[in-house]
Amino acid sequence: MPNIAVFIEQRDGQVKKVAWQMISEARRLVDQAGGEVWGVCLHAAPCDAAHQAGAHGAHRLFTAEHELFKLYDSAAWATAVAAFARAKRPDLLMVGATALGKDLAPKLAQKLGAACVSDSIAVKWDGNAWEVRRPIFAGKCYVDVVPRTSPAVVGVRPNAFALSEGRGGAAAAESFDPGVASLTPLARVTEVQAAAGRKVELTEAETIVSGGRGIKGPEHYHLIEELAAVLGAAAGASRAVVDAGWVPHSHQVGQTGKTVSPNLYIACGISGAIQHLAGMSSSKCIVAINKDPNAPIFKVADYGITGDLFAILPLLQREVEKLKS
Amino acid sequence: MKIAVLVKQVPDSETRIQLSGPAQKLDDSKFTRVLNPYDAYAVEEAVRIKERAPGTEIVAITIGAADRVRETLKKDCLAVGCDRAIVVADPALADADEAGIAVVLAAALRQEACDLILAGKQAIDDDAAQVGVRVAEILGIAHVAVVTKLDLADGALTAQREIEGGVEIVQAKLPALITCQKGLNEPRLPSLPNIMKASAKPMRVVTCAELGVEPPARTYDVKRYAPPPSRAACKVIAGDDPAAAAAELARLLREEAKVI
Repeated sequence: MPNIAVFIEQRDGQVKKVAWQMISEARRLVDQAGGEVWGVCLHAAPCDAAHQAGAHGAHRLFTAEHELFKLYDSAAWATAVAAFARAKRPDLLMVGATALGKDLAPKLAQKLGAACVSDSIAVKWDGNAWEVRRPIFAGKCYVDVVPRTSPAVVGVRPNAFALSEGRGGAAAAESFDPGVASLTPLARVTEVQAAAGRKVELTEAETIVSGGRGIKGPEHYHLIEELAAVLGAAAGASRAVVDAGWVPHSHQVGQTGKTVSPNLYIACGISGAIQHLAGMSSSKCIVAINKDPNAPIFKVADYGITGDLFAILPLLQREVEKLKS
Repeated sequence: MKIAVLVKQVPDSETRIQLSGPAQKLDDSKFTRVLNPYDAYAVEEAVRIKERAPGTEIVAITIGAADRVRETLKKDCLAVGCDRAIVVADPALADADEAGIAVVLAAALRQEACDLILAGKQAIDDDAAQVGVRVAEILGIAHVAVVTKLDLADGALTAQREIEGGVEIVQAKLPALITCQKGLNEPRLPSLPNIMKASAKPMRVVTCAELGVEPPARTYDVKRYAPPPSRAACKVIAGDDPAAAAAELARLLREEAKVI
């Protein structure tokens, strides 16, 4: 039976949304393929994920509790999930492509001698085998791959899968032995520092407002941040803006920055260099605001305003506020 | 101190990816190949460590056909401060996936016994972000991935690693592997005299057999390549009247696209 295990990432009891997205998709897949969806959760204090896991479609929830699961520890977390995989033998192991998941997935795959398909956006069951789609070259091209190993680790990009809710009652919960009792940690997280002023993370955001060279200087980036704030969006930037030192590199969207696929991407004063388009063209709805009607960004945009962003952004912000109130 | 830098040659970020023929094959014959941008941070970091700790030796390691990678190694690694290079050139590796590449790099690293291994956080062609982490796991050493700040002292390291909305501070004993993220440093450009001098630096070309490693089987098969879905034509709103344009955009986003 092709059972799918989904890694449920939590930090201080807060579960990452990508976990519920993966469980929702995994349930759609096992409904065709047969088999079950299993949530796997590591935590340091009791974490009640069973109800939500069940509501999104998980049949069972496997948990392990240990103080090493308070902060991320690559060796301990990979050891624990590998112990689970060896004991329960899921066919696929989905891990969200978050900062933690991107670190965990290859380590886990190496421990299991397994394939790892990074940052996937679609999974299909063809009756015999899994077919996993992932973007390469930051989305300039897609590749469909078929894992040769069981289990296979599949990294899943946040927002790639739709959430479904109300599937069922609480998942049947049981605990498992993570096998970390005698483990000597190799690397230790000593501190987690939150960046000042960053509220919504780019890679997880449902809406992103990005600024390019058209904002003319760091003193105008607040226009991007203010529109982002009323939309509950993350604020991004093009490479030009980051390389000029106007905003930190953690804001950069593109082939040498973050690859994002939000529901709405608003590009302000971004001409649309190919390396930027690569990082955001899988967004569901793209808006371009740019003076130059020939800017390449309009080739990928669904809606565009050809005009002065300094005039338009504050007005757009007011319109959004009106709609939201 | 001995540092290894793992590098890869990739198509530059301006490259257009085209699929050709009914089989939609990825045509890579016309790509302009450069050092993977994230690997440049790894090279630069190694050179800065060497500048602070004279006597440090830096070896750059790559996999690929020797005639194809030679210029990149010379110009972007040896000419900016790496002391020597190793190229694993073996036709059997043409088809290797991330798991296979990691096994071969780990075999090369075992012959070198380095204190610190630096790599890019991912290559911008496959975007897999796996090889560095897999290599550390094979060697049984610590790794810290996506690092934006690195300090070394007394046989240990403190690294700042980028996570959602902030950073993690991670400590580890050497030997360890670090994958490098933009922000770690500003890579220097090679000078012309140094490019000339780099030709005299040793570049060793080895096969898998010489490393004592079997080229491993793939862990997954590539079934097909596909172009990204094409997008519908853009609905353009004239911005001559900014207030009307902003109102119309907000209306379309709410009523038509249903995204706000």
